[in-house]
Amino acid sequence: MSNPEPLLAARDLTKAHGRTEALRGASVELHAGEILAVTGASGSGKSTLLHCLAGIVRPDGGSVSYGGERVDRLPERRLSELRRTEFGVVFQFGQLIPELTALDNVALPLMLGGAGRREARDRAGEWLERFGVRGQGELRPGEMSGGQAQRASLARALVTGPRVVFADEPTGALDSLAGEQAMTALVHTAREAGTSVLLITHDAQVAAYADREIRLSDGVVVPVGVTA
Amino acid sequence: MSTRHILLGLLATGPSHGYDLKRRHDERFPQARPLAYGQVYTTLQRLVRDGLAEVDGTDTDGGPERTLYRRTADGTRELARWAGEIAPPAPFVTNEIFAKVVVSILSGGDPAAYLRAQRTAHMERMRELTAVKTGPGADLTTVLSADYALNHLDADLRWMTTTAARLTTLTAEVDSA
Amino acid sequence: MRGVGAAGTGSDLRLAWLLTRGSDRREWWRVGLTAVGAGLATGFALGAVAIASVEGQYSVGFGNGLLNQPGERAGVVVALMMLLIPVLGFLGQCSRIGAVHRDRRLAGLRLAGAAPGQVRRIAALEAGLACLAGSLAATIASVVVVLGVWQRPPVVVWAGFALAAVAVPALGAMVSALALRRVIASPLGWVRRVRTARRPGRVFLVAAAALAVLLLMALTSDERGQLGLAQAPLTVFFAVLLVGAGAIWLSGASARLTGAFLAARTDRPTVLIAAERLRDDPWAAARTHAAVLLVTIVGTGFMGVRQALLAALDAEQPLAASRSFYTTGLDLTAAAIAVALLITLSALAVGTAESLATRRRGLAAQTAAGVPQAVLGRALLLETALPLAPAMLLAGVGGMVIATWYATLTGSGTLPWTALLVPAGVYGACLLAAATSLPLLRRSVRPGELRYV
Repeated sequence: MSNPEPLLAARDLTKAHGRTEALRGASVELHAGEILAVTGASGSGKSTLLHCLAGIVRPDGGSVSYGGERVDRLPERRLSELRRTEFGVVFQFGQLIPELTALDNVALPLMLGGAGRREARDRAGEWLERFGVRGQGELRPGEMSGGQAQRASLARALVTGPRVVFADEPTGALDSLAGEQAMTALVHTAREAGTSVLLITHDAQVAAYADREIRLSDGVVVPVGVTA
Repeated sequence: MSTRHILLGLLATGPSHGYDLKRRHDERFPQARPLAYGQVYTTLQRLVRDGLAEVDGTDTDGGPERTLYRRTADGTRELARWAGEIAPPAPFVTNEIFAKVVVSILSGGDPAAYLRAQRTAHMERMRELTAVKTGPGADLTTVLSADYALNHLDADLRWMTTTAARLTTLTAEVDSA
Repeated sequence: MRGVGAAGTGSDLRLAWLLTRGSDRREWWRVGLTAVGAGLATGFALGAVAIASVEGQYSVGFGNGLLNQPGERAGVVVALMMLLIPVLGFLGQCSRIGAVHRDRRLAGLRLAGAAPGQVRRIAALEAGLACLAGSLAATIASVVVVLGVWQRPPVVVWAGFALAAVAVPALGAMVSALALRRVIASPLGWVRRVRTARRPGRVFLVAAAALAVLLLMALTSDERGQLGLAQAPLTVFFAVLLVGAGAIWLSGASARLTGAFLAARTDRPTVLIAAERLRDDPWAAARTHAAVLLVTIVGTGFMGVRQALLAALDAEQPLAASRSFYTTGLDLTAAAIAVALLITLSALAVGTAESLATRRRGLAAQTAAGVPQAVLGRALLLETALPLAPAMLLAGVGGMVIATWYATLTGSGTLPWTALLVPAGVYGACLLAAATSLPLLRRSVRPGELRYV
């Protein structure tokens, strides 16, 4: 736990949505190449924690540092860039644009980074291949099965070679087989590329893909028990 | 779990000796408890006694002498019957975890701490199993048997989570009884 | 049987009320704006009825004598009837606010065992009641105005008023029932949105053909080959409707072609998003865009006609009436076109806002994934800008043809180039109308929207 500097560290995060306090002093460390599961009951603040760590929302209090930068103090412009280049995000659904084909969806982050269409599509194709959905590249998200669409989402999150992937219940809408395929693909690729993953889930079988687990309860990290 | 039927099943591919059967069993059922060498021989002798298997001969193969066994026609019939028979949906689950929680309440211990520790141990085992099944070169047999164990551990875990959330009520109930 | 039917309608009404009351804020926007649209429609229709029912020479105390002559009154009636077209476009756009939710709710009703007819009645009642509210308000206002300026209005005015006041809500209910035919056919249709471009169906083609036939009949019914005064307003009205139908087709086709062309070639993410959305559903904005085109054609043509007419007025000094008689006519027409443009732009703004609101979860996810808001904003504007550009060019040309034709007819030598400002101005105004949604985009992409994903 105390070995090298963490890649991403949050200290004493607080965040309220209206009158509900979603986070009440949560601290997390994510090391390079680590897969960390965040578990906890619904409403325990898991998603809010992810949003704060990924720079999607600013915490009310506490700090988030990534590679020497204070994420919680960055201007929105730099945050967008950070999320587009250094981070990848995967949600239960919604991160694919319904009107774009899977291939264009995966190519989009590259194009936003200035890559040409052809080059972006070529690289997107390679990533779809890794996730086993190359053949569905010309389909739109609505024409794919849930599992295929989610694997395309994972490809989109990883295509820019991010250092951290944030996944919020990535298997939440999938049956167990499709979920297993998506998780296996994510874990393999992340390990291969040395990408860190912050994995939010309420499913212990999904959490078991991680190297380590932290549990949230009422907005704070609770001890998971005596580690052997 | 009927060891004799599993050994009968392994004999279906052809005559085999005890050591070979043990090795094949442990390979094919990676998440099951490994068979003890002595248990294999006792079981084989019972199969012979009941007429389900018979001695096929001996195989020296340079080393110590090994007895080869093969299945009888009765054995084939018995195996078919057993394989088609449903497994009784376990009516009495030996629930050690629940017993420990109750004993802990009765003796004034800390059931919540116990559940947390147990949960950690379960998660640790689930991570190991997941690593095994996602590891390089894991075949489908490995994946499926790991999945079986994972699902059972997950069921325990879910039960522990709901129990932990209801410990206060349980304590009151156990104490008043 | 009759008793059962009556009880059925009663319970439908109760259900419609319950469902509307329990619906979310956006649906109240739909109800409110539908009422406003219905009110405008009723108002214009009642105005047309009142002016049309004036017979012969009559001295009206306002409008510089413009309403005194039957001929000029016919022109005003035409103008009022033409104003109905953008209002209808506006109503069509309003019916889409929260439409996804309404469709889902009605599909839920179907799944819960309601008969198709019942669902259709409930939907029709919902829309009909909103229209009735607007139309009642407009009727009351019109009655007050008529009683104020007209001592003893003839019975025919009241009959016309009653007819228009009832026809508008009835029409609204019918259109709403028609729009729901897909939901009713398959209650599960919305569960998995298989996206099929909703191109104008047979109804549209049949209506266009009927219009063409009516137009031909109106043109040929007079043996002298000239337009009879009585038919003139109707003829022009039908002609404009027909051009409008053509404009719908034109804007849909131009959206699809632009989308397909750009989607295959562009290197820019904003253009790619906008183009693929256009290709996916080119007809989504066709109705509003058609109204924009119509206004542009009429506006460009009018500018040309105005310039030629004013030149002619300056040339021939002895006029049949005072100069202000003509200029008032021109100004009133200009005002009518401006009102039409305003209504159309509102419809465009409503349409853009609605398309954003429907997609807000997806947009929030895009932003969370690092797609800059500026990119999403530009894509939103491009969705309006791209298909309108070629269509606007054609509309400008169409308007110029009218203007040039009139200029040569009146023998004024100069070509009305100033009219070309109209398409450019309308184009800019459309972009501004679409841009009114940008603040909504900023609100839509808040991560709060992600919480309920």
